[in-house]
Order: sequence, then structure tokens, then C-alpha cells
Amino acid sequence: MPTTRLARALATVAGLTGLMVVAGCERPTGCSGEYCGTLVIASGGEPDILLPPVSEFAITRDVTDQLFLKLADLGLSGNTIGDEDFQPQLAERWEWDAPTTLVFHLDPRARWQDGHAVTSADVAFTYDAYTDSLVNSSARSTLRHIAAVTTRDSLTVVFRFRQRYPEMFYDAVYQMRILPAHLLREVPRNQWRSAAFGRAPVGDGPYRFVAWKAGESIELAADSTFFLGRPHLRRVIWRFTPDQFVAVTQLIAGDADAVEVLVTPDNVQRARADTELATYPYKGSQYGYVGFNLAAPGDTTKPHPLFGDRDLRRALVMATDRERLLRNVLGEFAKVPPGPLSQLWWIWDPEIRELPYDSGQAARLLTRTGWTDSDGDGIRDKDGRPLAFRLLLPTTSAIRRQYARLLQEQFRIAGVDVQLDEVDFSLYNERARAGRFDALLNTWNTDATPSSGFPQTWTPAGFGRSNYGHYDNPDVDRLVDRAVASAANRDQARRAWRAAVETLNRDAPGIFLYATSNVAAIHKRVVDVTIRPDSWLALLRTWRIPADRLTDRDRVER
Amino acid sequence: MAAWLVRRLVASIAIVFAVVTITFFVVRLAHGTPCGPAGERPLPPDVCERQRVQFGYDQPLLVQYGKYLVALRHGELGESFGLHRPVADALADAIPNTFTLALAALLVDFALGLALGIYQAVRAGRFGDVAVGNVALLVNSMPVFWLGLVLLLVFAQWLRWFPAGGIHNPILCPRLLSPYCLLDFLWHLVLPALTLGLVGAAGTARYQRAAMLEVIRQEYVRTARAKGLRERRVLLVHALRNALLPIITLFGLAFPFLFTGAVLIETVFAWPGMGRLAVNAIFQRDYPVVTGAAVLTTTMVVLGNLIADVLYAVVDPRIRVQRGGRGGGGGSV
Repeated sequence: MPTTRLARALATVAGLTGLMVVAGCERPTGCSGEYCGTLVIASGGEPDILLPPVSEFAITRDVTDQLFLKLADLGLSGNTIGDEDFQPQLAERWEWDAPTTLVFHLDPRARWQDGHAVTSADVAFTYDAYTDSLVNSSARSTLRHIAAVTTRDSLTVVFRFRQRYPEMFYDAVYQMRILPAHLLREVPRNQWRSAAFGRAPVGDGPYRFVAWKAGESIELAADSTFFLGRPHLRRVIWRFTPDQFVAVTQLIAGDADAVEVLVTPDNVQRARADTELATYPYKGSQYGYVGFNLAAPGDTTKPHPLFGDRDLRRALVMATDRERLLRNVLGEFAKVPPGPLSQLWWIWDPEIRELPYDSGQAARLLTRTGWTDSDGDGIRDKDGRPLAFRLLLPTTSAIRRQYARLLQEQFRIAGVDVQLDEVDFSLYNERARAGRFDALLNTWNTDATPSSGFPQTWTPAGFGRSNYGHYDNPDVDRLVDRAVASAANRDQARRAWRAAVETLNRDAPGIFLYATSNVAAIHKRVVDVTIRPDSWLALLRTWRIPADRLTDRDRVER
Repeated sequence: MAAWLVRRLVASIAIVFAVVTITFFVVRLAHGTPCGPAGERPLPPDVCERQRVQFGYDQPLLVQYGKYLVALRHGELGESFGLHRPVADALADAIPNTFTLALAALLVDFALGLALGIYQAVRAGRFGDVAVGNVALLVNSMPVFWLGLVLLLVFAQWLRWFPAGGIHNPILCPRLLSPYCLLDFLWHLVLPALTLGLVGAAGTARYQRAAMLEVIRQEYVRTARAKGLRERRVLLVHALRNALLPIITLFGLAFPFLFTGAVLIETVFAWPGMGRLAVNAIFQRDYPVVTGAAVLTTTMVVLGNLIADVLYAVVDPRIRVQRGGRGGGGGSV
């Protein structure tokens, strides 16, 4: 009897093992040729809704950019000034009727995936929706210079601007993904945030929506009739993986084909060690800095007792060895920025003048301004008050936490006592916005152009918004205004930007620590990979998996 | 017994109500604003303010609480502003996943824990007992997320025996429709359930060893042996039933552990359950989701404890008698 039971148990185990093996293998497959590839992207985030005006997530943009077209899109050069570097999408051509009147001619081949033609009414509807306070799109402010969008005929749409400025074309095309009026007109605008359309959208892009399993995956399928050319990859699937380490593990284990950003040097090392993977470095859109609060915490009418002093700020900048910090934390995956700049911006210029690292000069400046170590405790003081401040940072950022500790040590050597205020992200935002901090370790994810982000962060236009430190220099404002509003061409704009950043650097409202470089990892069987830094999947339609490199996963039919 | 059960039920409802109330106020009184995705750029203040008004967060807290209770009475958990969908829908997607994971982990926990505990008790003081005890102590000391990462590295990345997270193969099984996909689901379940179950099993084994040791030294066990019963029957039939009593208490206590453990494990294994949902909601100050998740988790934990109490009474008639004798006094076991 025991022998029989043992045999039965062994048979059960063998059966289960067999089933596991079956489950582990993939089923027989069908598709062959050039248009069979399946790309699985391991993604750290999940979209909230697939309706572009009401979402703030970068991952939403990645997905919806495959579903909805813009009128035109940014070229690989990243030049946001004028219209010469933009590529046609929904608009096959455009012209300027007057200095402030832009006319787009839609491609007559464009179709919504339910068969309706894309018309100028869709464009006018989209503009109306993006600027409607009920929809509450954060892109609304970037469209403020557009006075009206009207239709001339079913394929011609006219944009009228309030004034002439260098990035008119960019503002007209970059933020808005054109939406199907016939499907959204009946949805009350204040209910767009929970509209059913946002969970099963109908677009006009190279891919159509297939399925969204909350918390798991989103699947898109290529539209083989797409008027700008059939996409080579027939399926794109995003797998949502909350942890970056796990996302990279999925990639290495062969459960995914691509990861957008490897984030940490460790992950890059892991990906590079895998011979099946290729890494693609590209310019990052993020910069990080220590921002000084120039106003008294909680009372913006008074200067900060420490950082209201320009010389003290300059001394702290010069006391910081930013190159060394960078080497220790981010290594080759970032650069020390020459000001509050991301590498993505076309105004990035290593020649921009900034305060040097010079601990000797920093010490002399501190002594000259009365900060000396009178009691020999290693911390400088003045009038009985130690040179001490608190540095606010969010607990969610491992990189900033590393930076904070290293900064604390560098400042200690300079005779400055820094205490860290590590709080959760939501509280961090609340305190930053309310000005309740001495200094903060902040990062910004920037748009493709400095024209909106820079003024919001470093001029009075950003008071109560993103200018957390209340930095205000009329010279900087004037130069930024010249660059954004009145430069006649790219060179003039570049000169004005450079002068603005150099003036700001002299004031030292912050210590600009790092500007990230991104590294994507993609399986080597995917070829013709081109990454546009402002939107890594912008050219996904041209990526392909050659017929001889297809796997069962690519060929499988469901 | 019936009166006792009714009292326990009323107490359970009161506990759920108290937790809902506390969660409602704590999450709203916590610093931070319900405004925009965590980790990405914050929403512009005007957009944020309009969102607050749209969702009624500009109203006094007591008014919000009153409205929430009224809605809850009708089974409505509100609308998530982070997920742009009804909270009930989001939870309905997540609950089966968490529940499956918790049940599978519970199975590993108790099956393995009981077996090891019995083995240790039978070989008390010998090499097998000491070795198993030390390994169990080691596993029990490991942070659950760390163990998860180790298993992921070894079995998913290096050996490639199991998938590296997720709930199913997104290409072949977008929906669980076929037996193949059910197996695929189970295949994905192995590592997270094992991680969560192993840590629990290590603790369960220690309890079971102690309980078993106490029982097998008692007179009636000796009598059973003296009657000539086989050792296996003595242990598994006579001794085990009494040694199970403390384990049933442990069963009730395991529910909170499983749900808190699931929060971490769901993140490590990209398992789309309630833990992951709640963590994201907390970071975003997505009040309705946090409160909704608290309502459900508390209900399940309270129910788990209630079931444990009832089981305890079923297994040990003395408890039933005592409770009946005292007029159904229903303290927690």
C-alpha cells in the first residue's frame, strides 16, 4: 500500500511538473515576414487614463502618442524654434497667411480607427477641449498665446496667435494630440477624467487600442492601413512593473524586450552584461539642484536670514565639488549642468560661465562676510548664530538621498552644518510650494524647450508655482523675455538664453548638481531603433524585428 | 453559541466602522495634497485647485465624512482621481489577485509549517530538529521583500524556471480564458506565494513544534501507544488534533500578516493586487482609494479572525461549553 501511495504521489508531482513545463513553453506559432514583431516594454509606471488632455503621466504620453497624432511633430534635431525642423503628421503641409496666422492642411488619407475621416472640426474641437477649464488640462497655459482655432473647410484649419514669437509653431502642434470630436462631443467636459473613452480609446495613429488590464498590461496592435506607412512591429505591449530592479530583471530574463531608462549605474551594468541586449544612451530631460530659499520660510515678504545674502550663496556654490559628487552618485550617466538646464534643451552649452569649485575662495568669502569659527567647534558662526540650515528632500528619490549625505559632508568640511529633512513626496511638494524650507534638493523634468519651464522656475512668473525659492532678478526676467518672446531667430534666442543663465549663475540661487543622461535597454533582435530624446517612442513605427530574428512570441497568433 | 456569534459579528462591524473613520481622517489630515502623480512633476496649482473643487476636497472635513458614510451605505466607495475610475472597479480588479496570492501563501505557510513542526517535534533535540529549526529561524528573520528579490534573481533571472513577475503571459493570455492560461497563472503565482508562504511557514513550524511537543507528552498519547496503535496514527490522529488548537489562532493572525506582506510582495513581483494599489494611492494622496482599500482589508482581516474563532470553537468543544456557560462572552481567542 505505501508503495502504491508513493507511486501516486510521484505521479502527481510528475504531472504538475509537466503542466508547469507546458505553461512555461509558448504555443506553436504562425506569423512570418517583416511585420510580425512583438515588442514588450517593461514600464515603471501605468497610465491613469488614455485621454491625453487629462493625464499628467509620461507613460500616458508614451502610449497615447501611438494612438493619437499631432498636426506635426518635433524633428530629431530637437529644434523648437520656427517650423523648419518639424515633421508632418496629420497636417500634410502648412503655411503662414500672416505673421500671426498659421494654416494647416490636413492629410485627406487620415482616418479614425472607426472609419471616420479626420477633419478640421476635430482640430478645432481638440483646441477647445484643451483650453476648457472643465477639462482642466495642464497644457492649457502653453496654449494661452493662441487666440482662436477655426476651420476653413473640412481639411483646412487656421490658428490665430495673439502675438508673434519664436515658438509659435511648437505651441500650436506639440502639446495637442488631435481627438475624435464625433466620439467625445457628447461626453460632458467635467466627466472627461473618468470617461469610458479613456479606457478604450479610438485613435488615428499607427497603433490601435486592444486591451488594458489594470495593474498588468496595455496592448496595442499595428494599424496595417496607417496612412503614413504600416508599422513594422505588429504588437506593442507595456507590462507594468512598479520596481525598476524588477523591470530590468524581466528584461534580462527575456520576459520583456525594452526598458526606457535604466536609471541607476547598477542597472546599466546588469543590462550591459547581457549579450542579448543593446543599450542606447540619449539626452535626459531632468536636472537636479540644491535650491536656496531666498525668502523667509513661510513669509515671502522678508528675506531668508541666511540665503537672502548673495555672497553666502555664492560661497556655498564654490564650496561644492559637483564633479566629485556626480562621479560618486551617477557616474557617467549624468553631467554637471552649466546652470539650471537639462541636456535635452537646445540651449545646453558647456561654455556658459558659472561659479567655479574653489573651496579656498569660498572660505575667504565666508570669512569676509563675518562667518568664522569663533568657538572652534568646526561650524562657522556669526553674532553667536551657527551657520546651519535644513535641507528638504523626498524619501522617494534614492539618488537625491545619496547626494544629500555627500553634500552634508562637503558642507561640514566648509564649516556649515546641514540637517536633512527627508519627507514623503506629497509633503515635500506641499512644503516646497508653500516655501516652508531653507534649502531643498529638487529635480525638474523638463519639456523639449526651456520657454515655459525656465520662466516658471526662475522668474516671478513662477511665484506660487514652481519658483520655490522666490528667485527674482529683473535682468534675468528681461533676458528670458527677449529669448522667449522677441528673438528674431535661433542665434538671437541662444544668445539671450546664455546671458540669462550666466546672470542667474552669478546670483547663485542654487547649486546645479546634475543633468541626467538616459540609457534605454532594448533586445538586439529589435533593429532600426531611433530614440528621440524628448519622447523615446516617438519613432517606434520605424523600429522592426527582421523576419530571421523572430521568436515564437512574435509569431504567435491568438 | 448563536448569541456569541451575533455579538462577535456586531463587534466586527464596529471594528470595521472604527477603522474606516480613523483612516478617513488620518489620510486627510496627513500632510500633502491630493495633487498629481508621485515622482513626476507636480500639477500646476490652478489645475490642482480646480481638481480639489471638482472632487469636493475644499469642503469641511465633517461634511466630506458625512457624504462618504452616506455613499458607503449605498455601497459606493467614490471615484479615484489618481486612476480616473470608480474605486469599486479598481478594487474589484485587484481583490481577486490579492486574495489568490494570500490563499496560496496561506497554503504554503500552513502545509509546510505544520509538516516541519511535526517533524521537529518527533525528532526533538536531534540533528533534524536543530537543522530545520535553524533554517526556519533564518528564513523567518529575512525581510520578505529581500527574500522575494533573491528568489526572483535565482529562479527568474539565472535559472529562468519561473517568470520575472507579472500575473500572466501578456502575449498569450491577455485574459484567463483557457486551461493553458490558468496554468500560466499558477506558474506566475509560484514565486510570490512561495516567498510570502515561506516566511510564514518558518513561524508556523516553531508554533507547531511547541504545541506538538506539549501534546505528545500527555497521558492519553501514552495510552494510545500502550494500546498498540501505530506511531503514525498516534501522531496524526490523536496528537495532532489537539496540537492544532494554537495553530488555528495563528491562522486568524496570519491574515493581517499576509495582507501587509502582500503590499511588498506585490511590488517586487509586479502582482496587480490591493497592496500595490493602496501604496500608489497613499503616495498620491488618493483618498478614496486609500479609504476603500482600508474598508476591504479590515473587513477581510476581521472576517479571518471571526472564522478562526468559530473554528476554534468547533475543534475544541470545551471552548463552546465555556462560552455558553458564561452567557456567550465573546472575547477574542
